[in-house]
Amino acid sequence: MKDQLDRLDARLDAIGKRLGEKELRFPVDLVTGILFALFALVILWVMPDQVVVSEKDVVNGRAFPTLLMAVMLLCCVMLIGKELYKLATKQPLTWKTINLLVEIKALIILAILAGTYFLSKLTGLFVVGGVFCCLGFLIYFRCRKPSYYIITVALAVGIWAAFRFVLGVDF
Amino acid sequence: MLQHILPASGLLFTLENILWINIGVFIGSVFAAIPGLSVILCVILFLPVTYSMTAIPGMMFLLGIYCAGGYGGSVSAILINTPGTPHAAATMLDGHPLSEQGRTKAALKIALYASTFGGIFSALTLLFLGPQVAKVAAQLGTAEYFMVCVFGLTIIAGVSGKSMIKGLISACLGLLISCIGADPMTSYDRFTFGVTRLYLGLDLAVCLIGLFALVEIMAKAEKKPGRLDLNAEKIKDDGVITKDEYKRMIRPTIVSSIIGVMVGIIPGTGASEASWFSYNTAKNMSKRKEEFGHGSVEGIAAAESANNAVTGATLIPLLTLGIPGDGTVAIMLSALMINGLNPGLSLFTTQGDIMYAIMLGLILVNLFMLLQGKFLTSLFAKVVSIPQEILTPIIVIFCFAGAYSVNENYFDVGVALIFGILAWVLRKLELPPVPILLGLVLGSMTETNFRRALLISNGSPKIFFSSVYCIIFLILIAAAVGTIVRGKVLERKAAAKKED
Repeated sequence: MKDQLDRLDARLDAIGKRLGEKELRFPVDLVTGILFALFALVILWVMPDQVVVSEKDVVNGRAFPTLLMAVMLLCCVMLIGKELYKLATKQPLTWKTINLLVEIKALIILAILAGTYFLSKLTGLFVVGGVFCCLGFLIYFRCRKPSYYIITVALAVGIWAAFRFVLGVDF
Repeated sequence: MLQHILPASGLLFTLENILWINIGVFIGSVFAAIPGLSVILCVILFLPVTYSMTAIPGMMFLLGIYCAGGYGGSVSAILINTPGTPHAAATMLDGHPLSEQGRTKAALKIALYASTFGGIFSALTLLFLGPQVAKVAAQLGTAEYFMVCVFGLTIIAGVSGKSMIKGLISACLGLLISCIGADPMTSYDRFTFGVTRLYLGLDLAVCLIGLFALVEIMAKAEKKPGRLDLNAEKIKDDGVITKDEYKRMIRPTIVSSIIGVMVGIIPGTGASEASWFSYNTAKNMSKRKEEFGHGSVEGIAAAESANNAVTGATLIPLLTLGIPGDGTVAIMLSALMINGLNPGLSLFTTQGDIMYAIMLGLILVNLFMLLQGKFLTSLFAKVVSIPQEILTPIIVIFCFAGAYSVNENYFDVGVALIFGILAWVLRKLELPPVPILLGLVLGSMTETNFRRALLISNGSPKIFFSSVYCIIFLILIAAAVGTIVRGKVLERKAAAKKED
């Protein structure tokens, strides 16, 4: 069993090393500017459907979100303009490097979180999701100490019990 | 003021309040002692617990966490040379060297005493200065209040990240999210996209769990899990502080407490700025400059008194104008508003007893922090070495349980998860999360004042330039933007010079 786990660890390390070398670079300010400009435009586009107003209102419910989106658009234009100016004057753009290994690990963590949520919701028992969460993270951290599994699961059950029976939360 | 003190004391000194203060102080110390866990995360996790409480015990609990967080960060800074919170970094410079000299307990005691002094000094400042500032705030109308909100948001957006423009985008996003649900003036639904549950809006605690807590869990992908080894034997020295050392502590403690209060009143600045500024001031004032960085008692006292002196001061703009000095107190503002306590002069007049109880409670919080620090520091220190493998799932369970318990449904847990993903994307785009938090907290107040002001002026925006206070705030906003932009330009130039 120990040998098998060692072999699995070695394989994961090798995959991790390969992924760790793969990086993705993108001009962060330019991308942020474009993304949020599009977001602001979409919000302005859906506004008539999403915010019902009365013709009698002097200042209606669309005024404030419209102001916000105008400010956001202005900021985006400034951000894009700044980067385009850098591009025109051949100055280096602001780049962001994303490591593939980090992103895949983050996705695994997200999967554990989503699993915890769906298990709790589907079973109606929060403690089931809690136990899954503990086991998921201990496996993610490649923990081999049985005591950690016992302690963590016991704590998860304890927290559920405290919320359920002391604070009266029904889950 | 005196007419409020006696009834306020009656409201404050109950078994329930004292219990919640102590629980808050304990939890705050433990969280702050663990590197990687922050005070803001702790306040967010436990905010749902306060929903079922009344204003005083709820605020006492949160203030307990907030103040003890100031001291707790120094425990790991002194013991393992890793600051538990960012503002304990200055303490580490002298705290750890003193610990290395075999005087760990003495270093912890100096930090504790200085923290307590700074905290009490700050609480007293709040008690005397708060009502005076509130009197000025009472003269503000809706247009002026809108300008106050814009001022607060601009400063926080400006100082929260590398770029002010990105900070403003974040603030707009936070304000937009606060628009989801029923219109505060007409009750028509907005941005619900057919989801009935969204009519009630998004709960602040649920959003914050995703934005600040779940994203930190996802950030574990960026770090390797490691256990911080702590030798508990280190804390078993006699802990004696000599008379000469006590004498040397007095001046830096008082000066740093004043600096901490002054820095804390300015929105957007915080404990980190105060502790570094005070540390440098103490070093310049000291007759034993050579000891700084090698275990100076003055260095520890200066840094610790300053970062705890910020705690009460940040509440001054919060309670009087509704401008949170930092992210953590922004959450406290929501806890206050849930109980119908809206910032301003009325808080000090109509709700005077409750308000004074909270302000007096801050003194009590610091006294209990002193007691717990004296007797439980060894326990806080042991917590530092809890392995990440155990801590991480437990935090997740707390996050989910907290999100669920707000309205007892899984919809909120899903919302927290979505906000966690959103925060991860924003992190990749280098957009700071604190302006989003401010936007969420101040959203309703900003919009309501904006629309009321326009209603009064029949839709004319001239109202925002019509009064003296509006013009003062416009000048302040322009000055703040100018200062922040200038600071960022200088920072970039210095960084470029360093690279060359």
